[in-house]
Amino acid sequence: MSSSINEAPGGSGTKAATARPLGELVFAGMIVGVGVVGFIAGAQIPIPPSAGVVGPRVFPFIVSGIMVAIGIGLVIQLLRGHTGAAEEGEDIDPNVKTDWLTVGKLVGFLAIHIALIVPLGWPVAAAVLFFGAAWSLGAKPWWRNAIIAVVLALILQFVFAGLLGVSLPAGFLLEGVEIFNG
Amino acid sequence: MDNFMALLEGFSVAMQPMYLLYALGGVLVGTAVGVLPGIGPAMTVALLMPITYSLDPTAAIIVFAGIYYGGMYGGSTTSILLNTPGESASIVTALEGNKMAKAGRGAAALATAAIGSFIAGTVATVLLSFVAPYVAEFAVQIGPTEYVALMIVAFLTVGALLGASVLRGLASLALGLFIALIGVDALTAQQRYTFGNPFLADGIDVVLVAVALFAVGEALYVASRLRHGPVKVIPVAGRWTNWMRKEDWKRSWKPWLRGTFIGFPVGTIPAGGADVATFLSYASERKLAKGERKKQFGKGAIEGVAGPESANNAAAAGVLVPLLTLGIPTTATAAMMLVAFQRYNIQPGPLLFEVEGALVWALIASLYVGNLMLLVLNLPLVGIWVKILQIPRPYLYSGIMVFAAMGAFSVNFTPVDVFVLLVIGVLGFFMRRYGYPIAPMVVGLILGPIFEDQLRRSLAISQGDPTALVSTPIAATIYAVLIVIFALSFWLKKRQKAMESEVADETPVATVELKEGGK
Repeated sequence: MSSSINEAPGGSGTKAATARPLGELVFAGMIVGVGVVGFIAGAQIPIPPSAGVVGPRVFPFIVSGIMVAIGIGLVIQLLRGHTGAAEEGEDIDPNVKTDWLTVGKLVGFLAIHIALIVPLGWPVAAAVLFFGAAWSLGAKPWWRNAIIAVVLALILQFVFAGLLGVSLPAGFLLEGVEIFNG
Repeated sequence: MDNFMALLEGFSVAMQPMYLLYALGGVLVGTAVGVLPGIGPAMTVALLMPITYSLDPTAAIIVFAGIYYGGMYGGSTTSILLNTPGESASIVTALEGNKMAKAGRGAAALATAAIGSFIAGTVATVLLSFVAPYVAEFAVQIGPTEYVALMIVAFLTVGALLGASVLRGLASLALGLFIALIGVDALTAQQRYTFGNPFLADGIDVVLVAVALFAVGEALYVASRLRHGPVKVIPVAGRWTNWMRKEDWKRSWKPWLRGTFIGFPVGTIPAGGADVATFLSYASERKLAKGERKKQFGKGAIEGVAGPESANNAAAAGVLVPLLTLGIPTTATAAMMLVAFQRYNIQPGPLLFEVEGALVWALIASLYVGNLMLLVLNLPLVGIWVKILQIPRPYLYSGIMVFAAMGAFSVNFTPVDVFVLLVIGVLGFFMRRYGYPIAPMVVGLILGPIFEDQLRRSLAISQGDPTALVSTPIAATIYAVLIVIFALSFWLKKRQKAMESEVADETPVATVELKEGGK
């Protein structure tokens, strides 16, 4: 409780920013890349004879051109050392390093969720996603996470599928239970 | 007088018990998501869209209007009561309320914010009721060329002015425009950027992209640098009925009104939305304060809460003017509202007041009702909002992930959409990390197809001559105004930076005092 209050309020996110230029460069390069792909794929859009003066290619070319120009501009800015200011927020700690492991776990659990929706039904997939995400983010103890996950999944299934008629598949476990099916 | 009658009719719809309940639900959800960090009204509207299909259009629009206004109220509670050292210094306007709370004056800060929001919201809604029909009348007369001009103004102001970096804002805008291109061209029925993939041929759903960017991107980003430990909320003492002293009323009422009349016009012109309005209000209150009160700025001056909070709400109402009359959203939330309208086959624009008059006036009437509800809800119920604010962050962000996955799946009921959610969510993560603003991308995504349509129409009229785009008198005026807006906002940004460093220099003194008194 005490240690973080005594931190100097002036300390901003500049510490973390110095480690980032490479990733930023890749991202800016990707914007250029999308623009280039936009040009190449844009040139293959068929123009039907019915098209007027301005066919289906014009706007894609404009957008691709903007992307290439801005992307190059960003790369130049970055090479000169002007890095972006990472977003701030109430729950963001500006003084910690990026926790790639947690990000990876969240992505992984969302991927598992996607794979589970059809075979096991939405409530099971949702409970797994919540449980996995809460565990990844450091919630303890595990059994409380599990209880909340199951209860939340069932409530959502009941309210949205049962009451509001959103077609979330209940899965074979709950298929026979009327309140979970719209 | 016609409009007044129409408004009364709108009230007769909005006051029906069923719609009152929907409005109540909307403002409750709106306040809750406004209070919670990591969720905003834009994301909530996006999330609720697929799962409110069963509602009739009026009910859905009333719910979304409630969320829109509720989000504005809830945000102030967070910035006043959440104790996040070091961070809020970057947002000058959030500073005063937080400092007041640390000095034990949190109740007064909350009260002046809520009452100011109510007054500003109500006055601005009155202005909206009377200004919007006239703007619509004017808008009927403008053609595609002028539309192109107006949308370019919206693109450039949202893209270049909102964030800290002009290029990153424009890059975000271009990404949005690009994703909007994927699918079948509406005019010639040719596939664009689908790479032979039948899934891409349908285009990528706007709701999917918005939920991915706002919800999944935010959850991943927060997870990468999560502030661990308990959430520290500054306690509020006393009964809410005597939160405001006589002195506080005396010091607040002028900033409330000034904030309203700064916020509304700034909201109506696409010049950066609420941020600009709050800053302008804060700067003018600081300038107008005298003697002892001036010294309080940066340490918890009530004027610095009352003014900006009012300006914020008035701007939110102002944003509805271009949205309803021209179909041009100037903030991310307004963009999501536009999508909500489109889902029900309602096209905001010059004809909206004629074609969907009953619905628009019911919407406006529900804004009055919602505002009153928000005032009543916010003061006595602050304890509940504080509880919501204290939800453990792992559960909060896990819940956001689950809701996002549900919203994505509900778009077409296929897991492929949830996969797209994941991919674009990762994109949103990197955008936040590297300082790319999200709002321009959403605006580009939603306005892109409309813009292309109008652009091609105006070029078809001029037979491909691009100079026609700037040669009509109205269009030329719009571009001239654009240049003025840009000049003004760069000047404003400089002022804001200067003031931020000035205020930041003064703050350490204040925080030292607080450490003794705060706990």
